[in-house]
Amino acid sequence: MATDKELSDFLRSAEKRAFKRTAYAVRDDDAALDIVQDAMIRLAEKYADRPMAELPLIFGRILSNATMDWFRRQKVRHAAVQNFSDLESAGGDGDFDLLETLEAVDGSWAVQGPADQLSREQTLALIDAEVAALPARQREAFLLRYWEELDTAETAQIMGCSEGSVKTHCSRAVHALAKSLASKGLKP
Amino acid sequence: MNGSTRAHRPDLDALQARFSLRVASGLSERSDALPHDISERLRVAREQAVARARQTRLAQPAAAQQLSVQSQGSLALGPSPSGWLRLASVLPLMLLVLGLVMIQHLHEQAEIRAAAEIDAALLADDLPPEAYGDPGFVAYLNQPEP
Repeated sequence: MATDKELSDFLRSAEKRAFKRTAYAVRDDDAALDIVQDAMIRLAEKYADRPMAELPLIFGRILSNATMDWFRRQKVRHAAVQNFSDLESAGGDGDFDLLETLEAVDGSWAVQGPADQLSREQTLALIDAEVAALPARQREAFLLRYWEELDTAETAQIMGCSEGSVKTHCSRAVHALAKSLASKGLKP
Repeated sequence: MNGSTRAHRPDLDALQARFSLRVASGLSERSDALPHDISERLRVAREQAVARARQTRLAQPAAAQQLSVQSQGSLALGPSPSGWLRLASVLPLMLLVLGLVMIQHLHEQAEIRAAAEIDAALLADDLPPEAYGDPGFVAYLNQPEP
């Protein structure tokens, strides 16, 4: 059973990521804060007696459900479903070479040409914007796998899909991010 | 071309993972600098959640204790509101059963009283009870009155 301090520490470590993930989805900071608060209360009321190790997965699931509830309440489910469906095709990138781009980006986050003037903050803002621009399912898979550091099975459980779908979403997200960041000058 | 793709695959996976972790690191760095009002609201939400968890933990043993006392038949704490509701729903049934038992009892008493009255009338009469076993007397009784 998680103690008050353990629960507080867990929430402190997760709250900012939870807020950003939700804000990406609902695109409204106030609504995102309400959803995160709702998820925290649900976790505290119903699952505070669970072992600490289970809390990240449970909280992730509660947050996803709370976000979906918000979409339902907003009566924009149709739009949400449209957002959530992955309409991007993997093969429509012409001569874009992912391996080459990733190798280039791998060296550093340094920038080329006029983009040399970009400050670190601007670079981070650019990354933030490009992540926000990803299709919802790709973004969710990417953030859960690489930001929340969940494994593929846990990510699939939270997203309610197969592990294969998670891998596909992640791969497409990386592809799209690498391409968009490279096009904005974020490469050596 | 496929062979070339396969050869590059481990490199590609490793690069994808490294790229993703760098993006995630950038996101973490940016989210650490959230506006003050958002950080404050998150802090308040966290504290409310922890307080709620504490209340829930405290409420569970209290509820369990009350249930235990009730199950032992003690009225020290009195029934809970749900106990009163259960009692209210069972009460009419108990009254019905009690009424049926009373009706049965009164009926038996009435039968006993009636039998005693007949016995008393027979014993107090001048005619001995054995006369009713005599076929001649029964025939006499069945004769129509003149």
